[in-house]
Amino acid sequence: SLIGAGKTPTLGGGFHANLGKESRAQTLQNGKRQIHHLGNQLQLNQHCLDTAFNFFKMAVSKHLTRGRKMTHVIAACLYLVCRTEGTPHMLLDLSDLLQVNVYVLGKTFLLLARELCINAPAIDPCLYIPRFAHMLEFGDKNHEVSMTALRLLQRMKRDWMHTGRRPSGLCGAALLVAARMHDFRRTVKEVIRVVKVCESTLRKRLTEFEDTPTSQLTIDEFMRIDLEEECDPPSFTAGQKKLKIQQLEKALSKKLEDFEGEISSYQDEIEIELENSRPKAKGVFANFTKDDSIEDNTSSVLGEEEAEDEELEAAANHLNKDFYNELHEKDRVERNEDGECKNGNEALVRPPALESLLGPLPTAASLGITESIKECISTKDREPGENTGDGELDLSGIDDSEIDRYILNDTEAQIKAELWMKENADYLKEQKEKEARIAKEKELGIYKEHKPKKSAKKREPIQASTAGEAIEKMLEQKKISSKINYNVLRDLNSKGSNTPKKEDDSTDDSTNTKKLSRRKSIASRNIANPVNSVGKRLRPLISTLPAKKAATEEVTFPNAQAEAPGLEKSAAVLVESGPVTYNPDEEVEEEEIEEDDDHCMSALQLVGGNDYGCDMDDDDGY
Amino acid sequence: MDADSDVALDILITNVVCVFRTRCHLNLRKIALEGANVIYKRDVGKVLMKLRKPRITATIWSSGKVICTGATSEEEAKLGARRLARSLQKLGFQVIFTDFKVVNVLAVCNMPFEIRLPEFTKNNRPHASYEPELHPAVCYRIKTLRATLQIFSTGSITVTGPNVKAVASAVEQIYPFVFESRK
Repeated sequence: SLIGAGKTPTLGGGFHANLGKESRAQTLQNGKRQIHHLGNQLQLNQHCLDTAFNFFKMAVSKHLTRGRKMTHVIAACLYLVCRTEGTPHMLLDLSDLLQVNVYVLGKTFLLLARELCINAPAIDPCLYIPRFAHMLEFGDKNHEVSMTALRLLQRMKRDWMHTGRRPSGLCGAALLVAARMHDFRRTVKEVIRVVKVCESTLRKRLTEFEDTPTSQLTIDEFMRIDLEEECDPPSFTAGQKKLKIQQLEKALSKKLEDFEGEISSYQDEIEIELENSRPKAKGVFANFTKDDSIEDNTSSVLGEEEAEDEELEAAANHLNKDFYNELHEKDRVERNEDGECKNGNEALVRPPALESLLGPLPTAASLGITESIKECISTKDREPGENTGDGELDLSGIDDSEIDRYILNDTEAQIKAELWMKENADYLKEQKEKEARIAKEKELGIYKEHKPKKSAKKREPIQASTAGEAIEKMLEQKKISSKINYNVLRDLNSKGSNTPKKEDDSTDDSTNTKKLSRRKSIASRNIANPVNSVGKRLRPLISTLPAKKAATEEVTFPNAQAEAPGLEKSAAVLVESGPVTYNPDEEVEEEEIEEDDDHCMSALQLVGGNDYGCDMDDDDGY
Repeated sequence: MDADSDVALDILITNVVCVFRTRCHLNLRKIALEGANVIYKRDVGKVLMKLRKPRITATIWSSGKVICTGATSEEEAKLGARRLARSLQKLGFQVIFTDFKVVNVLAVCNMPFEIRLPEFTKNNRPHASYEPELHPAVCYRIKTLRATLQIFSTGSITVTGPNVKAVASAVEQIYPFVFESRK
């Protein structure tokens, strides 16, 4: 009934068919247990839990549990059920229960939904209202408040407040307003404790709602009327505002440009006049400006080396204009062209700055562009060469001297090293200590590579009322093959064993003869113990004879059991290890009785009239 | 690439990520000490080097693998990568510039209309996934292009894909669907 009886082999399992079955069964069972445990905490009904278990089975068969924490997968299955059934459970609840980051759970959940091709319907905030309303304790008026909150939510939906927002936040806002409408004083803090959002989120939702025209209605009006007009989502309106501001700025800058254009035309005129009137001065100024411009150029073009002569001249021209602007600013002011004057001043204040920027910038830009164009052309030619794994670094367009600036000289390197050492002092200290420790251990010869320990499993003591039960439980724990017919095993204890018919064991007779002498010692021990060793004994047998019928294994069973007393001592000592050596001749001593005395008594009774035979009728059972 | 006959949507590439190998072991300590604009993260074993000209941040491992992020176009990414390799060369390593590959391209695009996300998700069931509890956008994956689009209710769309072409064609593909569910 429990483990082995009803197991049907999975079809088309490939190489997984026999190897993974026991562990698979174990996984599924474990999963079922966890699902029930979690589900009960969430107060899910049995149907939901069964559906969740089905999802889990599907996930396991698709190997989705590999590399993921079982708890995460279980939580994802449960949440999937919640979604499909429409229960008011949030992913946040699950993460609270498990103390896991909600986004991690969300990732697993999304993956699960995708892999299982299950389309979870979108979550509706209206589902949460009854739950939160109940938690906020409105007493008799619970229903009314819920209905009001629902209406509010619908209004919010139509006003496009709900897209992209957490449903719980919307619920919180709706409930708060509904409560206030019905004269319940619920503070923001109470609401957020129930709804699990941040205070600022709630306030933001409330202000957004305030912006909608519905908020202007009185309570009665709201209950009766529904405004036709729909609002835009708040983020959209914010975006629109930004756009408007940008447009305004553009318009302004355009105007500025226009003014600048005018100014530059004035500039040209002035320059022409000046040329005509003061040629010498211009020459002097030109020299000055040229010097200045060169200095400026080199100082401002840090790291943008590629300044050729042409570029310098262009920069010089720009800065010439700049210089002239400064000279003639005063003239402008004196001219008193009102509207333009003001703007002109502003604009004038700007052009110097702009042009000094424009000075270096165009040079760099133009250079940059030509660079990349050169590269494009040259790389196109060289592409096949590079792709064939040439590995040569294509240096076109890369200026070495610029890159030299990226490398510090010695003093700078020293300073930097010091700084870094100071910054990372803690880490370096740790490293040193660790190394010192390792060195010491090495000296002393105790140095061990610390490998992550696999924690040893602690087995619970089996508590059962009959030997049969004990065997079942033990086998459940020890995950022995499902090919054994446990019914027969149970019968072994009650009835008796058959004449042994084993292949490779020669100690049959000896054990059979010894059985009488062993009886008492057997009786004093727990049946579970011998069966423990039997289990161990069986494992190597099973692994080497996978194809054999269960019947033969049954047969080996009584034999093994007979040997059990002999092996008991070793068994009691080596609980965890593998195959145990045959020691039928070993004198069996009375070991400590680990289990209850009742157990032994029943074993004695059972064993009392036994012949260690087993029924061979079960051959055809498999 | 235009998305519709009337509308010319401008797709703005915000980030291009690329990788290349130098085929030689790099001494991170040396780079850290002699480079002018590097951050040495010893605990994770990498060096961050930032270039100014194409604004690029490169993560350098001692094995010789380098990842470059922050470029705004594929050409720029390549230029930056080569610049970086050159500067490593100058530091004294026998650098060979191989296996250059653009790995990821991130682009932003704005639709002139808003989008109803729940409706959009329903119409595009297997590809679109929407979890308002987790993220305010719909995540739409195009398997053939290996591209992912994040669609927000304001109409702005963030696309990531393996190269610029994929990104552009992803936007083209999604436009009709998004147009259906517009407000």
